[in-house]
Amino acid sequence: MSAGNMLYGGDEIGALVFDPGHHSLRVGYAQEDTPKAEIPSVVGVGPSAPDTNMDIETKTDNNITQNNADTRKYYVDTTYVNVPRTQMEIQTYMKDGMIDNWDLFEKVIDYTYAKVIQSDPEYHPVLFSEASWNVRNNREKLTELMFEKYNVPAFYLVKNAVLAAFSSGRATALVVDSGATHTSAVPVHEGYVLSQAVVKSPLGGDYLSMQCRQHLEKQGIDLSPAYKIASKDVVKERDNARFTLRKLPENLTQSWQNYMLKSLLQDFQMNILQVLENPYDERVAAQIPSVHYEFPNGYHQEFGSERFKLAESLFDHAMLGAGQLASTSVGMCDADVRLSLFGSVVVTGGNTLLQGFPERLNRDLQLRAPSNTRLKMISANGSVERRFGAWIGGSILASIGTFQQMWISSQEYEESGKGQVERKCP
Amino acid sequence: MADVRDILDIERANTPEVTRESFLVQKRRNFEKAKGVSKRPEGMHREVFALLYNDNKDAPPLLPTDTALGIGAGYKQAKARLGMKKVRKWEWAPFNNPARTDGAVFHHWRRTTDDQKDYPFAKFNKQLQIPTYTMTEYNTHLRTNVQKWNKAQTDHLFDLAKRFDLRFIVMADRWDRAQHGVKSVEDLKERYYEVVGLLAKAKGQNSDKKSYAFDAEHERKRKDQLKKLFERTTQQVEEEQMLLNELKKIEARKKERERKTQDLQKLISQADQQSDVATNVQSARKYEKKLVKKKLHHQPRPSKVDSVVNAIEIGGSGIKFSDLRGSGVSLRSQKMKLPANIGQRKVKALEQAIQEFKVDPSPPPTEEICNAFNELRSDMVLLCELRTALSTCVYEMESLKHQYEAACPGKTLNIPPSLIPAEPIKEEIIEPGTSASTNA
Ligand SMILES: Nc1ncnc2c1ncn2[C@@H]1O[C@H](COP(=O)(O)OP(=O)(O)O)[C@@H](O)[C@H]1O
Repeated sequence: MSAGNMLYGGDEIGALVFDPGHHSLRVGYAQEDTPKAEIPSVVGVGPSAPDTNMDIETKTDNNITQNNADTRKYYVDTTYVNVPRTQMEIQTYMKDGMIDNWDLFEKVIDYTYAKVIQSDPEYHPVLFSEASWNVRNNREKLTELMFEKYNVPAFYLVKNAVLAAFSSGRATALVVDSGATHTSAVPVHEGYVLSQAVVKSPLGGDYLSMQCRQHLEKQGIDLSPAYKIASKDVVKERDNARFTLRKLPENLTQSWQNYMLKSLLQDFQMNILQVLENPYDERVAAQIPSVHYEFPNGYHQEFGSERFKLAESLFDHAMLGAGQLASTSVGMCDADVRLSLFGSVVVTGGNTLLQGFPERLNRDLQLRAPSNTRLKMISANGSVERRFGAWIGGSILASIGTFQQMWISSQEYEESGKGQVERKCP
Repeated sequence: MADVRDILDIERANTPEVTRESFLVQKRRNFEKAKGVSKRPEGMHREVFALLYNDNKDAPPLLPTDTALGIGAGYKQAKARLGMKKVRKWEWAPFNNPARTDGAVFHHWRRTTDDQKDYPFAKFNKQLQIPTYTMTEYNTHLRTNVQKWNKAQTDHLFDLAKRFDLRFIVMADRWDRAQHGVKSVEDLKERYYEVVGLLAKAKGQNSDKKSYAFDAEHERKRKDQLKKLFERTTQQVEEEQMLLNELKKIEARKKERERKTQDLQKLISQADQQSDVATNVQSARKYEKKLVKKKLHHQPRPSKVDSVVNAIEIGGSGIKFSDLRGSGVSLRSQKMKLPANIGQRKVKALEQAIQEFKVDPSPPPTEEICNAFNELRSDMVLLCELRTALSTCVYEMESLKHQYEAACPGKTLNIPPSLIPAEPIKEEIIEPGTSASTNA
């Protein structure tokens, strides 16, 4: 312990930070500024049928785990999941912002310790983030899992909204988080979530992907992901694509194909979609230069006003639009805290990287806020800071000297069991 | 051979060889020098400190001045100096945190030379003193309002108070509604401070520790009003804004009217004190200028009457004739000359008036006639201006009448005869004001 640390208030104890989301699990060491790894929150589950080729691979890679009782094979992380394999189903372990399939989740944790952290769990206290609406049962289960199975020396659970607020240097904030499956507005007051005023909607990145898919299919655009394409020719804009298909293993599952299609759509959505600052207006949209996109099969075209029309669906919903969501949440809080919430609105989550998202949210919220309120939007500029807001907050929190007394230690767990997580991690 | 001295063939002083001894000497010297300047807290990194303070608060040098410090070959030295201090080792060491009750041991990096003090962050572990009570205390003192607060609820309240360090907003959020019913922030505060006060009284605690009286009614009312303020719909806000604007307009109009009456009053009194005015014009001008400026700020509805009255004001009614005192010998007739600063319009009006009243335009300039003639002409100008004002007023009255009749068809506006001028005004004397606002 040096005096230097004392000055800045930091004290690093080798803790790990996990931030599970629907899109990915972020994991890394506390006190670092970005996660060590971002692992998709899906697992490929393959049959046990002995495929000679595959077996060799299996033995050398310990990310593909095999239980004695359960002979299925599990594939974790992008490089393994994205390979076309016979009968490999894609499953997610998340549901409604919470961990749902614990077996699959354990596979991912195993993989994380083995491949990412490359160290034993008993040396590292673990800080987990959770959804603000996580339920007691789930929290206790996670506590139990970490202590019983992984023998962590200490454990702590924090709401991801609180962490996102911390990463922007706020203890009181309205956190608007737009991720893959949902958008939520969570008021945080002095480091605690006001749980009665949490509002969420199912309009997130995946919803946009779906909108894009419908739109593109209606246009008759072929959405073959890159894995299907062996080669392609250069064609003129809007000309039919000329490409040859790759030879693929048989019996690719629908879930895997959907997953790969979603990756393609997410790329489209990242590059093409944009939100207007004011509600969608054909004339305004028509004046903005169109953007060019080339699909994996070589087909390419310019996209004009539909870029804005597709993205508009996140905002124009009367009840679930992001602006409405935020103002509803503030309206449910005690009148004394509303001004301070409006005074720091933290925007986080990958989906808010959609061009123009913070500006539009600002405009929508300004309209709904009482006329003389000071509204301040806080959105990290870097895409890393925005996507990993909650993880970074966790990284900061777990490496603060005064936080080290908060952990649930393994001693405490032995004494009072998993029930204390409700009390110790409010 | 890269040095400019090499190029100019100037002999270069030999760089003294760095020996351990010379080093230490220099180092001490540097250290002594630095002592007075830098107040860097121990352990703060130099880069961070530099953001706060400059080493000697000077502007940074334009050129690198490593050698100017008199140390000699700067870079070489700096490099060598780094290695001179003995490396202090870090180790991954276990520590005990006295702020924890379980004695759990964590590890962190620590200098082996640092002594094993208590965990330095433990001292930040401050806890609020939340009073506690026993069963008997509760039964004897705290059963004040049994329907509203039973023991279980009070216990829950104090548990939350401890867990959330009296953050009442969070406490109200985590309040167990299913078991204990709905309670507002004010309810919680009221009960908490009531209990604290009662306990303090019962225990006869030293009175310097004041217990706070919580005015729940006042707080509830305040919050109600705050809520109402927040929950106004846009229409309500707009309506309020509109009403406020209307109010402002009405007030502005009222002020205008008052001002107008005042102006008229002034004109009338000015007619009386014509001679006075002549001497006071200078100061009056100033005042009028101010007035004009002010007028520009609130002009809810430009009125012709207004502009005319104003024009008279600006013009400074009457004429100021120069007295020729102190300018040497002069003809008396000079006294009757119109001063140069009178506007063309006024001059013309004056000429017409002189014709109209059949006055000799250039009477013999005896002392008396001079004075009387000057006064007469001054009055004439005022007269002309008043006429214009009158005609504008009449015109405006007429137009308002028409407006009224157009707005409420079938009705006629009866103008009281006292307001109608006895004889038609001679329009030809002065064309009604040509100032900018006339055509508005
Ligand atoms: N640069 C970007 N532009 C637009 N959308 C993005 C961008 N990066 C990520 N996204 C979207 O953000 C979503 C993932 O957000 P994230 O916060 O990681 O979700 P979660 O917290 O649920 O894991 C995906 O739907 C993805 O399409």
